Amino acid sequence: MENIDAARLQMAFTLIFHIVFACIGMVMPFFMVVSHKKWLNTRNPIYLTLTKSWQKGVAIFFVTGAVSGTALSFELGLLWPEFMKHAGPIIGMPFSLEGAAFFVEAVALGFYLYGWKKIPETFHWFTGIIVGISGVMSGILVVSANGWMNAPSGFDYINGEFLNINPVKALFNPAWFTQALHMTLAAFTATGFAVAGIHAYQVYKKRNVELHKKAFKIAITFAAIAAILQPLSGDLSAKDIAERQPVKLAAMEAHYETKKGAPLYIGGIVNNETQEVKYKLEIPNALSFLAFGDFNAEVKGLNDFPKDEQPNVAMVHYAFQTMVGLGTLLMIAGMLFFVAKYKKKSWFNMPKFWLLFALLAPLGFVALEAGWIVTEVGRQPWIIHNIMKTKDAVTPMPGIVFSLYTYIAVYTILTIAVTWLMARQIKFLNSVKTNEA
Amino acid sequence: MIYVVLAFLAISLLLYVLLAGADFGAGIIELFSSKENQAINKKTVYQVMGPVWEANHIWIIILIVILWIAFPHYYNILVLALHIPLTLVLLGITLRGVAFVFRYYDAYKDSSQILYDWMFKTSSLVTPIFLGLTMGGVVSGDIINPSQMENHSFLEVYVHSWFNIFSILTGFFYAALCAFLASVFLIGEVDDTSKSMYMRKASIATIVVVSLGFITLAYGYLSGIAFVVDFISNIWSISAIIVSGILLFPLWKSIKSGRRIISRALAGIQIFFILFAATITHFPKILFTTTGSISIYDQPVPDSVMNVLGISLLVGGVLIIPGLFHLLKSFKLIKLLER
Repeated sequence: MENIDAARLQMAFTLIFHIVFACIGMVMPFFMVVSHKKWLNTRNPIYLTLTKSWQKGVAIFFVTGAVSGTALSFELGLLWPEFMKHAGPIIGMPFSLEGAAFFVEAVALGFYLYGWKKIPETFHWFTGIIVGISGVMSGILVVSANGWMNAPSGFDYINGEFLNINPVKALFNPAWFTQALHMTLAAFTATGFAVAGIHAYQVYKKRNVELHKKAFKIAITFAAIAAILQPLSGDLSAKDIAERQPVKLAAMEAHYETKKGAPLYIGGIVNNETQEVKYKLEIPNALSFLAFGDFNAEVKGLNDFPKDEQPNVAMVHYAFQTMVGLGTLLMIAGMLFFVAKYKKKSWFNMPKFWLLFALLAPLGFVALEAGWIVTEVGRQPWIIHNIMKTKDAVTPMPGIVFSLYTYIAVYTILTIAVTWLMARQIKFLNSVKTNEA
Repeated sequence: MIYVVLAFLAISLLLYVLLAGADFGAGIIELFSSKENQAINKKTVYQVMGPVWEANHIWIIILIVILWIAFPHYYNILVLALHIPLTLVLLGITLRGVAFVFRYYDAYKDSSQILYDWMFKTSSLVTPIFLGLTMGGVVSGDIINPSQMENHSFLEVYVHSWFNIFSILTGFFYAALCAFLASVFLIGEVDDTSKSMYMRKASIATIVVVSLGFITLAYGYLSGIAFVVDFISNIWSISAIIVSGILLFPLWKSIKSGRRIISRALAGIQIFFILFAATITHFPKILFTTTGSISIYDQPVPDSVMNVLGISLLVGGVLIIPGLFHLLKSFKLIKLLER
C-alpha cells in the first residue's frame, strides 16, 4: 500500500471512530439533564435511575471521545506535517478555542459526576447543562476548522506562501456556518435515534418498560426535531457547495456533462469509464432548482474539470444517496413519533411501533458517516481546496501502513469493548428495581 | 504577545508534567505493589483523581495546539523525527484513558476488572517512558534536520533520534519522577495504615529519581552531548538542580510530619526547578539536531497569528482557571486553610 493511502485510511479510521463517540458524548448530556430536571420536578425515582445510568454513558463516551480526539490532534501533525506547518497558524484559532471549551467541559463533568449530594442541587444540575453546551461548542469549533479546508480563507496565497494571515477570518470561513449547523443537527439525529432505538428495543422485549418508555421519549423528542429540521440545513449546504465546490456537487450527483436545467438523480449505478449512471430515477430540472433556486440554472459537470482534480465519483455519489435516503427515512420516523404522541396514543401499545424504532437505531450514524464521506472524499484531491493537494501534505516517513494496522486493531477492540460495556449497562439497568435508586 | 504565548506554553508543560505525571505515577505505584495495596491504590485513585482526571490531561492538547499555531516550524521537526515515540505515547494515552473509565464505570465488577487493571497499570508505565524518550530525543542531538533527511537511512532519521541511551535514561527518569510525584501526592489522602505504604513508595521513588538523574547527567556529560555539557557549565541550570536537590530535605521533613499541602508544594517546586534547569541553558534553542540547535523563534509566524492566539489564551485562562480552582476546592483537594 502506498504511504499516502495508508495515511488517508488511518485518518479516516480514526475519524469514523471519533465522530461516533464525540457525537454521543456531545448530545447525551442533554438527555441526561432533561431526565435530571424531571427528577428534580417530580421526584419520581425512575428519573433518578435513568439520569444516573445515562451519566455513566456520558462518562464512558466523553472519555473515549476525548482520547480519540487527543489522538486526532497528534495525528494531524504526525500524518500531515506539511499541512499543519502552513495551516496550523491559520486555523489554530478554532482549535485553541476548542481546547478552552473542552476544558470547561472537563471541569463541569468533574462537578457533575462527583457532585451528587455534595453540591447544591440546582447548581449540580446546571453543571450538567454546561457539559452539554461546551460539548456542542467544541463540535462547532472543530467543524469550523474542517470548513476552512473546504473554503480556505483568512490569508493570501502568493507564490506558494501563505501571507497576510487573519485567524479570525479563517475561523468564520464561508463554510463554517452551514457545515456546523448540518453537523450539529446530524449529531442530535444520530445520537437521538441510537439511544431511543436501544430503549425501544427494551420496551419491545418488555424489560423494565416504564423506565425505557420514559428514556425513549426524551431521546426521540430531540432526534425527531433535529431530523425534521435537517433537510432545511441540507438545502443550505447544497447551495453552498454548488457555489464554492462545484466539482463536489457534480460528484455527489454524478453529473458528467454541464447542463442547464439539470435533473436530480436518485439512486443509480455509476460507471466512471462510460460516464453513465444506470438505473437511476430522474427528476427533471430539480438539481438546478435545489442548487441555485432556479429551474434553468446551469450546473457544471465533471467533464469541465481536469481529470486529476476530480474525486472518486462513485464513492461520493453513493455516500450522498445513502445520507439523503436515510435522512429522509429518519425525518418520516420523527414525524411518526409526533403523530403517535399527539394523535394516536394507541401506537405506543403496539410492539411493531417499538420494533420499528429499534431497527432505526443505527441508521442515523450510517447517514452521518456517509455525510462525512461526501465532505471529505468529495474534497479530494485537495487537502486545502484549490491550494494544497493531499499528496503534498503527507509525511515522508515510510511504513505508515504499520501504524495503520495498529490503529485498526486498537480501535476495533475499543469499539467492541464499548459496545459490550453498554450492553452490560443496560442489563444492569434492567436488573435494578427503581425504588432502590 | 509572544511572551504571553510562551508563558502559556511553559505553564501547560509544567502542569502536564506535574498533574498528568502524578496521574501516571499512581498507575506505576499500583504496578509495583502487592495485591492488597493495589486494591487500596485503585480506590484512592478513583476518589482523589477521578474528578480532576480529565482536566489533568487536557494540558497536552493545549501544549500541542500552541506549538502548531505559534511555532509550526519547530513542531514540524518534532512530528517528523519523533513520529514513532509520539505515536506510542498516543496509544498509551488512549489505552490508559479507556482503562481508567472502564474499571470504574463498568456496570458489573467481575473478572474483566483484571484486564482493565492490567491495561491501566502497564500503560501508566509505558506512556511516561515514551514521553521521556521524546523529551530526551529533543535534546540528545541525534535528530536529523529535515532538509537533510533524504541523505540518511530510515533508522537514522526515525529511530536513532530518540532510541539512544540518553533518551532511554530520560524516559526512565521521567517515569520515576511520576511515581515520586504520585506517592507524595497520595500520602495526604489516605488513613494511617495506607500512609506507610505510600511513604515507602515515596522513599523508593526518591532514591530512583536521584540516582537516575545523576546517571543521566553523567552519561550525557561523558558522551559529550552538547545539551548536557552546556547544562552542567551553566550557572543557572546547575543552581536550579542543586536547589531542587536541597529541597528534598524539607520535603521529607514535611512528609514525615504530615503536612500535605507543604509537601505537595515542595514537590511541585522541585519539578519546576528541574524544568527550569532544562530549558534555561539554551532557551530559546531547545531542539538539538546533528548539525546544531534550533530555536523556537525560527521562522516566526506573523504577529496577527500570535496576537489572536495570545488573546484566546488569556480569555480562555480567565474562564477556565477559576473553574478549575473551584473544582479542586470543592472536592477538598486543596485544603489551604489546613495545616
